[in-house]
Amino acid sequence: MSLESRPDGDKYALSDLRVIDCSDDMPGAYCTKLLADFGAGVIKVEPPGMGDAIRGLGPFPVGAPDLDAGGIFIYLNTNKRSITLNLETPTGKDLFLELVAGADVVVESYPPGAMDRLGLSFEELERVRPGVILTSITPFGQSGPWRDYQATDIVESAVSGLSYVNGLPEREPLKAPGSQTYYHGGTCGFMGTMTAVCYRDVSGLGQHVDVSLMEAAASVFGVQILSAQHSGRSPGRRGAGNPAGLLPCKDGYVALNIRNELTWQHMWLFFGDPDMADDPRFSSVVERRRHGEELEAILAPTLARYTMEELLHGLGPLRILVGMNLEMDRLVADPHLQERGAFVESEHPVAGPVVIPGPPFRLSETPWSLRAPAPLLGQHNEEVYTQVLGYDTKDIAEWQAEGVV
Amino acid sequence: MAVLPLQHVRAVVLTQAWAGALTTQLLADMGAEVIQIEALERPDVWRGGYPPRNGGTYPENYPGERPYNRNANYNAVNRNKLGITLDLTTEEGKGLFLELVAISDIVAENFATRVMANFGLEYPDLRRVNPSIIMLRMPAFGLQGPYALYPGNGGTTEPMTGMTSLLGYKDGVPLSSGIMHTDAIGGEMGFAALLIALHHRHLTGKGQIIELSQQESAVSFIGDRVVEYTMTGQVPQRQANRDHRMAPHGNYRCQGEESWVAIAVRSDAEWQRLSALMDRPELADDARFRRAQDRLENVDTVDRLVEDWTKERAAYSVMELLQGQGIPCAPVLKALEVLESPQLEARGFFETVHHTEAGTHQMAGMPWRLSRTPGRIRLPAPSLGEHSSRVLSEHLGLQEAELADLVQRGITGQDPPID
Repeated sequence: MSLESRPDGDKYALSDLRVIDCSDDMPGAYCTKLLADFGAGVIKVEPPGMGDAIRGLGPFPVGAPDLDAGGIFIYLNTNKRSITLNLETPTGKDLFLELVAGADVVVESYPPGAMDRLGLSFEELERVRPGVILTSITPFGQSGPWRDYQATDIVESAVSGLSYVNGLPEREPLKAPGSQTYYHGGTCGFMGTMTAVCYRDVSGLGQHVDVSLMEAAASVFGVQILSAQHSGRSPGRRGAGNPAGLLPCKDGYVALNIRNELTWQHMWLFFGDPDMADDPRFSSVVERRRHGEELEAILAPTLARYTMEELLHGLGPLRILVGMNLEMDRLVADPHLQERGAFVESEHPVAGPVVIPGPPFRLSETPWSLRAPAPLLGQHNEEVYTQVLGYDTKDIAEWQAEGVV
Repeated sequence: MAVLPLQHVRAVVLTQAWAGALTTQLLADMGAEVIQIEALERPDVWRGGYPPRNGGTYPENYPGERPYNRNANYNAVNRNKLGITLDLTTEEGKGLFLELVAISDIVAENFATRVMANFGLEYPDLRRVNPSIIMLRMPAFGLQGPYALYPGNGGTTEPMTGMTSLLGYKDGVPLSSGIMHTDAIGGEMGFAALLIALHHRHLTGKGQIIELSQQESAVSFIGDRVVEYTMTGQVPQRQANRDHRMAPHGNYRCQGEESWVAIAVRSDAEWQRLSALMDRPELADDARFRRAQDRLENVDTVDRLVEDWTKERAAYSVMELLQGQGIPCAPVLKALEVLESPQLEARGFFETVHHTEAGTHQMAGMPWRLSRTPGRIRLPAPSLGEHSSRVLSEHLGLQEAELADLVQRGITGQDPPID
């Protein structure tokens, strides 16, 4: 199979890949964001009218809902083009297959079986485009007794084991922070897709990638699942006052990790109280764990004298592990992340400039890039239907009247 | 033998603990030959040390004679790899390492930033023996910037990503998560980055160096919360399990000890159906609860009403009832309960693994499924130095006498140094 040329030369790693994304909601969007941010040409196929559900999530710049200006949509859809298409009409289905005929990857998140019912099974896609990779991202996967069940992030966090271990033992368990299972699902979609791309590179063969959000999240919990079999007991919630918990200081909370006796001594030297290092209650990691509460009580007045940054810069060079609890305002302003350019500004035609996280990792030869802001709903209808598929504007007007686009 | 998607790839890796080890386990799961290098003097920290000092869990809670081969931490994230030992502080050990680099596609490591420079094994050093090598480096805070030289692990990196600030009860302190999410995220992202580089290398023949800051990778996983702040200026508050669009939304107490169920009601129609299930149809039309906005304003009452109903019922029966009406719901499973979930069992997600020293157990299988080339667990995690002789003789042609000499001098081998 001949590889398509790369429109930008070798500047972006994935610029030879053409991706059709008809997924809805965050997991699929994060999967294709990773593809698009590293150069793939992603066409987002959205239902006419409301578009992708993420468009409704906000936050909106002036408060009033505007499907084109939601912040979460803007973050998750950088570098993509948007067309509208109703796959449930015969014309819509035919147009979709025409797009697939020129694509390398299709990403979808319909309930299992729905693509087949639309006449868009993997076999059909492969017939019009040999070598195509179809990636399906669903709550519980394409098979099994729960395949038709509904889930959101809190449900996936619960059922994969991630929630039970978060929080205080005497209170209710807490779901994983943020919308984390959606991102794990999206990243597994990306990894599965790219594994298939790498295999296609050497074999010419495509395949169907089945991603279950539950399995993506349960994979993250694999260490605990093995440990629990050994000990015969599932880990519980450890609470705040555990060795990895956070300790209050002058302007926030820090996590501290002292790995050996030498750094323990260095820490008390830094605090100007070297005799404390000799207290037999805290003479080793094991002893310090055993006397955790006493240790916290002794550290409290000392830590109260220092800010998070003073502790980081004071103890970090001594090879003591320090973590500052960065609330969102501190995170975005953090000098280290600022200097690294970890946040970028996406200039959006409706929302204006929006600050979003930048590269999740940096490749020296083929960088992450922000080439275009998230698309308006159907922004690229004319471009895609005329330039990519070769129709003319009269056809588009007709489809519009029929509710196809 | 079944075809594996990355069986044409070889990686020689210095990954340790969790994040880096997860990256290279994913690589191995997909079929790459992954050779993990450890030093006898300094084995992977997740082996727990000898004698064991870093905790860890052992089969039947018994460390055994060689605890470093039985630690669940190490064994959970190093399957499908070959394990060899090499002392990189010796010229000979380093030379053998570079010979392996010369015949590999990938080198990966997640030491603190300074370590590879100390070995004299930075990207230019590797390129000299293999111009198209792909090198992945993944320290906690990256290779550049004011914090680059500070060490970090899951417990201290997670608060630096904003995640910890989101985890906690209303008006309560921030809480570390039970698993330390930055490691898992960094692990996945490391593999994602390698796949991008492999594809580029296939097309151009060019390698590259990848710098992955575990902090930055994790920030991208809460990008939606970041944007909520940057667009509104409002700092997200800890709110336990509550959501600002959906109510009810939470983990609710069920019948039995420490039993909970997660429920998310996405629409007014779902609320009507839930009210009917709870045998309280009047709640659907109650002005306090009719629209999502109403329920959010009266969320304490909503949560109480729901929990009064769930606490009389078993978590799985609540799931069946709600899912029967298309409402997102599932029990909050404990680790051992995840193993028994009917969905994962039906899909054969867990695989049985036999480890010579740790026994037989179940491991979470492939995180995604490829229809033509599914990966699988082919090998348990290696015991310390298990494949040293095999790799050094098969790949580098070392003879038995040379190997014996290296073992004698502690450069490779399977036994911890005696001190």
